[in-house]
Amino acid sequence: MNIDDSTIQIGFTDVNKFYGAYHALNSINLSIPKGQFVALVGPSGCGKSTLLRTLAGLEEISSGTINVGGRTVNDIPPRKRDLAMVFQSYALYPHMNVRENLTYALRLKGVSKEIRANKADEVAAIIGLEDLLDRKPRELSGGQRQRVAMGRAIVREPQAFLFDEPLSNLDASLRVRMRKEIRALHERIGSTSVYVTHDQVEAMTMADHVVVMRAGKIEQQGVPLDLYKNPANCFVAGFIGSPAMNFIPGVIDESGESVTLDFEESPSLPIAQSMQPGRPVVVGLRPEHVELGDAQSCGYAAISISSVEETGSTTYLFSSATPELVIVADGSQQVRSGDVIGVKIAPTNVHLFDPETEVSLSNG
Amino acid sequence: MMGMKRIYKNQLLFIVALFAVALYLFPLYWMYTTSLKTDTAIFAIPPQLLPSSPQWQTYIDVWNGSNIVRYMSNSVFIATGVTLVTVIFGSGASYVLARYRNVWIDISLFTVLMLQVLPPSLMVTPIFVAFASIGLLEYPRIATILAFSAKTMPFFVILCRAAFMTIPRELEEAALVDGNSRAGAFVMIVLPLARNGILVAALLIFMQGFGEYVYSASLISDNRLQPASIGMTNYLQPNIVTWNSIMAFAAIYITPILAAFVLLQRHIVNGLTSGALK
Repeated sequence: MNIDDSTIQIGFTDVNKFYGAYHALNSINLSIPKGQFVALVGPSGCGKSTLLRTLAGLEEISSGTINVGGRTVNDIPPRKRDLAMVFQSYALYPHMNVRENLTYALRLKGVSKEIRANKADEVAAIIGLEDLLDRKPRELSGGQRQRVAMGRAIVREPQAFLFDEPLSNLDASLRVRMRKEIRALHERIGSTSVYVTHDQVEAMTMADHVVVMRAGKIEQQGVPLDLYKNPANCFVAGFIGSPAMNFIPGVIDESGESVTLDFEESPSLPIAQSMQPGRPVVVGLRPEHVELGDAQSCGYAAISISSVEETGSTTYLFSSATPELVIVADGSQQVRSGDVIGVKIAPTNVHLFDPETEVSLSNG
Repeated sequence: MMGMKRIYKNQLLFIVALFAVALYLFPLYWMYTTSLKTDTAIFAIPPQLLPSSPQWQTYIDVWNGSNIVRYMSNSVFIATGVTLVTVIFGSGASYVLARYRNVWIDISLFTVLMLQVLPPSLMVTPIFVAFASIGLLEYPRIATILAFSAKTMPFFVILCRAAFMTIPRELEEAALVDGNSRAGAFVMIVLPLARNGILVAALLIFMQGFGEYVYSASLISDNRLQPASIGMTNYLQPNIVTWNSIMAFAAIYITPILAAFVLLQRHIVNGLTSGALK
């Protein structure tokens, strides 16, 4: 890992893309240092795949510039950009066997047959497919196809790897395993990777740098835990973290040091900063930051629980009041629906947002 | 009770299907039996279902006396030419029509379908005039190939477009990223994958070209360049019609293509339905 290497490998400057009147990419600015693993994450239709495809050269941009390895690639066709891409459907060539699939790009470059064969063996060893080189893609399982798709990218030693939701066609357990493998491979090869996913857990666990997108715009980018701790707005706060953050309207108290929630018995929560009294806010509370206690104890607010979901390790509690408050509790908690419990939240875990702009008001 | 009903229904449908097949195949059967009958047996009442004394000599006479080899080579020439022109130009056209979606593509597709509607007998006069004015009638078989290719093209384009549409776009994109140009991706990835569909469509076009009549009859006046479909009509004379010879000629003419069709029918059916089902 050479994150401190500050050479910018990929750069988007003021990139816009329109499909007719539809603004698919809105003033995208993004710099990716060499060797960094960047995840583009957002709900479907947010433009993350489009952004990746403009980088690959499969889509043209309407304005702005894209740089790869210090070269402006706006008008350079995909084949000359020296980027390798792993597709969601893997896009293995059905009429070629695994060896031919792996070395197709080398064949197009005019690499000799012997070198190609060696390369195929080398890469097959890395991805663990030595025994399958003569098979056709249709004779492989989903996970094996996924590996071939990865191998096809690795064999080229490109400027950067582009991943377009590569794990979304795999079942859950395989997905977790491949997540680790891709990350391990990245660390081993040390190349720049851009990874598109709609799964925030994938983005958070794999990437050095997460870019959250919505409606063609970058909402926030940064180190994964920083996005979790200091979300810039309601959207990022709600998108990062699972289950999603609770949002409850509230008003800052006269002291300016606490906020009264518009919720059940209007409890008052201390906050970590001083705010203008009477200011309306949206209070964001992560389900896992809610501490449970006795409803009668000092500092705890009483709320009644309407339903309980137990998974064994954790228990999800849902309040009967609206907006529904979701609480993630330890699996040992004995709470039943209809119970009234006491909750409190540490002041540093209270996120405040502007009700109009949805921008974070917390200074952190 | 329901099960019994279903069995009856299936059996009934099977009988209906058998009847339909028999109806379609009867002319073929009649062609083969008539070709082996004597002149009197042909008009016997009640008709003979099987010839009592098969006249194999008719086949020898037809083979020796009617230039059938020359006629059939002309048919093969025209059919091959039509197939080549249609496949070469049609593949590219159908690929474009399969890959792009906009209003112009819709208009083109509609126009292509419209062309399919126009009957050759309607088109032949303007084509004759046009070809005569540019001197194409000097090469009547080429003229026929061009004229008939215009007729087969829509059919080929529709079939091939369906074949191309089954090929995922991501495969081409992967090829582009891997280092192919657009044309390279078409030749190295798309064409091999659409091969079955194209071959089946080409075979069907060949068969159409092999049996072509209207354009050959109008555009080819030189007897030596005419295809078998025209050659056969030489037996139709004002006063005497030798039905057994015509049928023998027809049998020699269509049996090879029939055999090819039967041998390849599994592939043909696969090729035709794969686009619709996958």
